[in-house]
Amino acid sequence: MSKNHGHKPFEGHMHDFEAHIKAVEEDLEYYRAKRFEPRVIYLLRRGVVTFYDLLKARMALKRKNQFFRPRKPQGTNIEARVRYLEEWLDEYVKGIALVSARAVEAMDMVTEDNRKERGDYDDFFKIKMREHKGTLEERMVNLEQDLKEYQEVLEVFVQALVVRGWASREELERRWKALHEERPWNGGIIVAKAWTDRAFKSALLNTGREALREFDIHQGKAGKLVVVENTDSVHHVVVCTLCSCYPYDILGDTPWWYKHDVYKTRIVQNPRAVVKEMFGLEIPDNKEVQVHDSTSDIRYFVLPQRPKGTEGMSEEDLAKLITVDSLIGAGLALEPSQLKEAEHSGAAPEMPRVRPD
Amino acid sequence: MDSANCKFKVGDPVSVAPENPSGNPRTPKYIRGKRGVIGGVHGLLENPTDHRGIYQPLYTVRFDLSEVSTCHDQDSIWVDVHEEWLSGLKAEERN
Repeated sequence: MSKNHGHKPFEGHMHDFEAHIKAVEEDLEYYRAKRFEPRVIYLLRRGVVTFYDLLKARMALKRKNQFFRPRKPQGTNIEARVRYLEEWLDEYVKGIALVSARAVEAMDMVTEDNRKERGDYDDFFKIKMREHKGTLEERMVNLEQDLKEYQEVLEVFVQALVVRGWASREELERRWKALHEERPWNGGIIVAKAWTDRAFKSALLNTGREALREFDIHQGKAGKLVVVENTDSVHHVVVCTLCSCYPYDILGDTPWWYKHDVYKTRIVQNPRAVVKEMFGLEIPDNKEVQVHDSTSDIRYFVLPQRPKGTEGMSEEDLAKLITVDSLIGAGLALEPSQLKEAEHSGAAPEMPRVRPD
Repeated sequence: MDSANCKFKVGDPVSVAPENPSGNPRTPKYIRGKRGVIGGVHGLLENPTDHRGIYQPLYTVRFDLSEVSTCHDQDSIWVDVHEEWLSGLKAEERN
C-alpha cells in the first residue's frame, strides 16, 4: 500500500516487483488463514476428518496424486520468478476452491460457518497470519518455502477426504480441470456498455444481475448485485468491513488490499483521506464520498464516470479504460492519454482472474 | 424486490440496536447504537450458499460520517442492516 504520486491506476504492474511480491504475500496468508484452515478446523471439530486421518494421508500421498505442478523457471530472471510465485499462489487458490466445494457439500457448510470459524465476528477464533520481512530476495525465497509447505497440507487434506470417502479422485480431477477454465473479465465490457447504451445502464442500475442476463453477459450468482453510479456530485467507494464480500463471480479475484484490515477499518473512518493516501485519488470538495459497507446479501460495484475526450470511442476501446480500482472507487476510469502512456511503458492494467462459479 | 411487509420505508429515521438481539452477526460494531436514515429497502433476500434460512428484511441505512466516526467531512457511510437491528425514531428524536 505505497503512498504514491498523483494518480496510481496500475496497482502493481510488472515493473514494480515489490508490489507484486507484497500482493502474493498478503493473498497467500489470506487464503490460508481465511479460506483453507478454517474449513479444515470446522471439519476436524465435527470428526469429518481427524488429525490421524491427516497423518495417515501424508504417508499415503504419492507424487502422482498431487494436483499442483508449477514449473520452476530456469535461471535468475526476476520477472519469471515473480510470475512463478503468482502462478503457484493461483494453483493454491484453485486447490482451496477444489476442497471447499467438496467440504461444503459433504458437510452442508455455508459461507457463514466459515466466517465464524475464522474469527470474522470474534477475535478468539482468528488464525494468525505470518508477517513477511527482509530483502526482496529473502521474501521471494520465503514465499517459495511457504507455498511448498501450504501446498503440502492442502494435498494431504485432499487425500484424507478421498480416503474417508468424501470425494473421489475422478470427481476431483474433473473439478480441477474445470477450475482451470477461467472466464473473461467482464468489468470493462459492462461499464463500456453502460456508458454507451442508456437502456442497459438504466437496467443495470435498477435490476443489477438481471440486466447482465438480458445482454448475455455472465451474471454470476453471489447474492444481490447493486451497481452505484459516480456522478459530478457523488463518488462511491465499496468495502466489506465484516469479511470481504465482493461480486467476485462477475469481477474475479479481489485486489489484496480490499481484504486487508487497514483498508477495511480506515475507509469507514476517514474515506476521503484514505483514498488519497492509499490510492493517490483526490476527491474534489464539492463531491460527497459515499462508502458502501457490504455487510449482508448485497454485493456492490461502482459505475465510474466516463472520462472526457472519449466521445466517439468504440465500446471495445472504452472497455480498456476500466481498471479494477475504478470499480471499487479506489480510482477513476483512465483517460485515453493515461492508457496510451501505460501501454507505451509496458504497464497496461492487469485484469483479475474470474473463476468458474 | 418484496418490500410489502417491510416495517420501514426510504427516508425513515432509524437507530441501530447496541447489541445483537437474535444472534444475526451481520451488523458491524461501528454502527451499533448509531442513528441513520433508511436509504434503500431490499425486502427478504434468499442466499442459501451464504447462510441458512432467510434473514429479516434488509435495508441500506445511510449514516452521516460524523455519526459513526470522529471525522467531520460531509461524507456518508451506507450499511446494509436487517430489520431486527433497527428501531424507528420520531422526527424530534433525530437530533
